[in-house]
Amino acid sequence: MSQNRWLATGNFFTSYKQEQRTFFTHLDRTIFTCFLVLLFGWPLVFEISNKYMLVLDNILIAIVAVMGLNLLLGFAGLISIGHAAFVGIGAYTVASFSQVIGDNHVFITHFWPVVIVCAGIMGAIFGAFVGLPALRLKHLYLAIATLSFQMIFEWFIQFMSFFNQGQTIYVGRVHWFTGMVGRSDHYLFWYYIILIFVVVLGFGVRNLLKTKYGRCLVAVRDNDRAADAMGMNPGLTKVYAFALAGFFAGVAGALHAYLYRGVGFESFTLHASVGYLAMAIVGGLGTLNGIFWGPVAIKFLDIQVEQFSEFVGHYLTYAPNVATALKPLSFGLVIVLFLMYEPRGIANWWRIVKSYTKLWPFRY
Amino acid sequence: MSYFFQIVVSGIVVGSIYALAALGLVLVYKSSRVANFAHGQIIAAGAFITFFLTVRLGVPIFFSFLASMLITFFLAMSVERIFLRRLIGEPIISVIMVTIGLASIFDGLIYLTPFGSENFSFPDFLPTESIVVGGVSISWTQLVGVIITFVLIGAFSWFFKKSTVGISMRAVSDDQFGAMSVGISVPRVFGLAWATAGLSAAAAGCIIGNITGLNFETLHAFGIVVFPVVILGGLDSILGAVVAGIIMGLIQQFASGYLDGNFGLNGTGDVMPYIILLVILLFKPHGLFGIHEIERV
Repeated sequence: MSQNRWLATGNFFTSYKQEQRTFFTHLDRTIFTCFLVLLFGWPLVFEISNKYMLVLDNILIAIVAVMGLNLLLGFAGLISIGHAAFVGIGAYTVASFSQVIGDNHVFITHFWPVVIVCAGIMGAIFGAFVGLPALRLKHLYLAIATLSFQMIFEWFIQFMSFFNQGQTIYVGRVHWFTGMVGRSDHYLFWYYIILIFVVVLGFGVRNLLKTKYGRCLVAVRDNDRAADAMGMNPGLTKVYAFALAGFFAGVAGALHAYLYRGVGFESFTLHASVGYLAMAIVGGLGTLNGIFWGPVAIKFLDIQVEQFSEFVGHYLTYAPNVATALKPLSFGLVIVLFLMYEPRGIANWWRIVKSYTKLWPFRY
Repeated sequence: MSYFFQIVVSGIVVGSIYALAALGLVLVYKSSRVANFAHGQIIAAGAFITFFLTVRLGVPIFFSFLASMLITFFLAMSVERIFLRRLIGEPIISVIMVTIGLASIFDGLIYLTPFGSENFSFPDFLPTESIVVGGVSISWTQLVGVIITFVLIGAFSWFFKKSTVGISMRAVSDDQFGAMSVGISVPRVFGLAWATAGLSAAAAGCIIGNITGLNFETLHAFGIVVFPVVILGGLDSILGAVVAGIIMGLIQQFASGYLDGNFGLNGTGDVMPYIILLVILLFKPHGLFGIHEIERV
């Protein structure tokens, strides 16, 4: 162990136990704690309108979903164009509870953490099931298999009268220890709940990647035959990666259902799947902080484009609805430009900044 | 019985359009191993260019058909030159995502024009009454569309079998290093493959637009529904695309003709291709005519 517990200039690990710690230096721990306190504390200090709170909630939900996708795509190297369908499965698990036992049943309003975990498990089951083609297929073929899962999901939801043909299914307001969460506190309440989910799941992902199972994913991504020769089971690992991604997506879907107090079909279309993929790629595949950068960047871009098109809309007379045009345009441009010029995503910029400040003012 | 034959006829009409749309996808995949998720948008672009030339500028429809094929030829070629050429040798997820991003960009550009949100239809230039043979009816637009499709597919197969450029394209798809060593410029062949794909997409777009009317949603949905077709036929086989297109058209029409309304089912024609796609991927991933090169773990 290096003598300076605050600043480390390199890796001086002498045992595996040291390598597996969550924080390497005291500085890491302090910064992280400060950041968490900031995230939890600032809504208490500043007054934020519900509109911006909703944006923050959306970003956090997207972070949960992208965690799953990044595990699948970045760490296990399996392409999925159907991630929104998994999110939808989580949301529709909540919706089917609400259809069967009524949208204000005690189970939904009081035991919502149980419901959210149930939705995650449901997502995991479907994920494992959809992952079965991964036993035989690779790359493009796998992408098309997940694409067809997405299309079948969309058709199924629109077809079933149980799911209200894709129209909104209501989910009741939840209760907390202090009573029912009212209209004014709704978004703030879910901000805290989703933040707790993000922190817990984020630690989960970080620790998972330091265990046997997490390293198995990376090994299978890099070379599945070599992984096989070293005694791992690539087939099982792939299915399990899909199940894991499904779990995260299911949790995100359930949170989405509770946040909007309803489940509608249009949040889980192919378009949304592409959105999740874009977030994962813009953030940086196979990196942990990319999970957080991507959704923030894409949602931020979304808001900017909306404001810009409102601004432009004042000056255009024919105005074919500028927002519907500029949104996909900017979105596509961001994906393409990132892939062409910075395939490692925003996480790479973060890495550069970090390695620069670490040794500043010395160059080596 | 005439109901049955009616379904067969409309299945062949839909199937031949699928075949033409799938052809472009196969061309690109065969030479450069890129699955083009923006194909539907190029189809839509071709259809709208033809419409614009015919209706707004008053060009005779035959010439605007040819002109739109020429324009999408260069459009697709420049797309390859600007976006895809930098990504040769990159991991497959980047390439797939770039084409998805391109689809999004095209979406945005088309939504900027009036074509994105409104419905249009081509002016009638063929007799509007349909031909009826033994209780089975087919409209003139459908008949001419099918004939043009088969002529084009024939022309493309001749192009690949006989012409020098076509042979060099097949050589590249066979073995890139081998092709390079005999003096074929591989990037140029990639560009040409995209260009011919754009050309066939424009033709498909015009025919679809004439049969079903111009609507951006339906036109770019073709870009997704061709994936089941090309997987069924084998991703790198032109013959496969044609056969599978017609099979898929027949399956779709039979599903919506016989399953819809019975057993409480609805809209099965839209979902059937994807179910078949999953079944094929599980049991015969290289398709009917594709080359066996699926890796297993």
